[in-house]
Amino acid sequence: MQDINTQLPSILDQVIQSIPFFKAELALIFAFLGSIIATLFLDKLWKQSSFIITLIGIVSSFVLATQQFGQPQSGFFGMLIIDNFSVYSRGIILAALLICVVFIQQHFQYKTFGKNLGDVYSILLAAGLGINLLTSTTNWLLAFIAIETVSISSYILVGYFSENKRQTEASMKYVLFGSVSAAVMLYGLSLLYGFTGNLDFTSFEHIQGLIEAPKILLSVALLFMFTGLGFKLSFVPFHVWSPDVYEGAPTPVTAFLSTVPKIGAIILLARLFEEWTSSSFYFSELVLILISVASITTMLIGNLVALRQSNIKRMMAYSSIGHTGFLLMALVGNLASEPQVLLFYIAVYTIMNLAVFGLIDVMEQKIGSVQLENYQGLGKQFPITFSIFTLLGISLIGLPPTAGFIGKLFVFTSIFDLFQFNNNRYYLILLVVGALTSVISLFYYFKIPLYAFLRKGDEVKILPTKSTQIVYIISIILGITTLLLGIFPNLLLTLFK
Amino acid sequence: MITLTHFLVVSACIFCIGLYTVIAKRNAIMILIGIELMINAAILNFVAFSKYDKTNYGGQVFALFAIVLAAASVAVGLAIILNVYRHYKTINPDNITDLRD
Repeated sequence: MQDINTQLPSILDQVIQSIPFFKAELALIFAFLGSIIATLFLDKLWKQSSFIITLIGIVSSFVLATQQFGQPQSGFFGMLIIDNFSVYSRGIILAALLICVVFIQQHFQYKTFGKNLGDVYSILLAAGLGINLLTSTTNWLLAFIAIETVSISSYILVGYFSENKRQTEASMKYVLFGSVSAAVMLYGLSLLYGFTGNLDFTSFEHIQGLIEAPKILLSVALLFMFTGLGFKLSFVPFHVWSPDVYEGAPTPVTAFLSTVPKIGAIILLARLFEEWTSSSFYFSELVLILISVASITTMLIGNLVALRQSNIKRMMAYSSIGHTGFLLMALVGNLASEPQVLLFYIAVYTIMNLAVFGLIDVMEQKIGSVQLENYQGLGKQFPITFSIFTLLGISLIGLPPTAGFIGKLFVFTSIFDLFQFNNNRYYLILLVVGALTSVISLFYYFKIPLYAFLRKGDEVKILPTKSTQIVYIISIILGITTLLLGIFPNLLLTLFK
Repeated sequence: MITLTHFLVVSACIFCIGLYTVIAKRNAIMILIGIELMINAAILNFVAFSKYDKTNYGGQVFALFAIVLAAASVAVGLAIILNVYRHYKTINPDNITDLRD
């Protein structure tokens, strides 16, 4: 106790010195508080006040995050790591979060369901804070807190509106599955802490402890730990929640869930993977095998099950599971190349998914359905919407001339480099399965233009809505961006240099 | 003499009881209790291991944070289960299957 008293001033000094590194997150925290206060007091005077505060908070956090570019720092006793990787990913996350906020605002603008929309913005900001922290830490404590922050905010987002039975069911499945995964992960982390006595997974003691740990117990601990991360990323076998939740949740919330939290989790996993697979001991091999097998099965199951879906949100859920498998492959490929391959794929995936869910939202509000067969013959009525839909489908499959193709090309190249370098057969299987599932995905993405343009359907009565214009414009801009990035990938790649 | 092994055995037992409660799912609230047991098993582990980490007290700090987070997620879980009950008049997860393939 005595030595803590003497150390306390220096500890406090270091905490105070670290606060400037935290400014991008502080902006989100202040916006979170501001939006709660605005919901309580200002929304009666001006309906949009909490929305505007949220937008300002996200934009200022984006600006503050970009200012940290090029100055690698670490604060709070090494818990917070600010490097370029973290700055790029936080840039992508905040931009995607901004679009999601606009989607949600537009979707619920004219709905009266007796609940205050302002609360949703503050929850979104809290989720953004958690995801930001995930990208800039190598400490298990901070990583766990961040994962739980994101999870709890996501449960509330799915269940908050509960307009119908399905939404409550989705939120219950989400909260039960998510809490169990978090509990299992916590147990795994406690075992890892027991082996190593240190919570920073890049530290020397941590690696040393992993090398000396008994093999069976270590395998159990790693499996438990990957349960939690696997739940956030929804890779097989922890994917079972995602189709139900994506189908049940309101469409703009699905757009958020399928993109933003995944970026944070994949960045954390990328740091972990890079650090742990560099040695030649048992645990490195185990991590490589676990991730490769998860990637292969995720790509196969996601894309194969997507083939027999008739609900487009459910189909996109399986498609995003398939893409998670591909993201894991990009993560393995990250070993061989600069982080820009992974970042490029993440950025492109985010753009494509946000655009698709934006268009699904627009169509849902116009025709009141998310079933594929209700899209029959709609190509004539909504030519631009479905042309962009088709373009996004092409990009999601990974065909030229879209950004999806460039992203997949980079990933395949880096995996092939790795394979030539050390002839590990897992790399070869990854390559084959990656190519194969891209072909499989062609069959379900092309269902959309098949129904819209080639099948004849009755003229559909368009529901009167006022709130689709902005979502429609954003989705179209994002759709054209995928085309632009496919033709000029350097626009993004030079940014990630 | 109570050693580290005793703590680990107890925590492993609690974890298994929690996992069984979750898997046997009859009632959503029982599942939440199971989750709580699993988290407490992990917390016990952290505190027990922290005996050997006298410099940073990482385990004890982690235990504190884990307690707070568990409370938060259980609060959200209960609110959501209440919502489910309003719509379905049951909280047995086996009977709530509108969303499936």
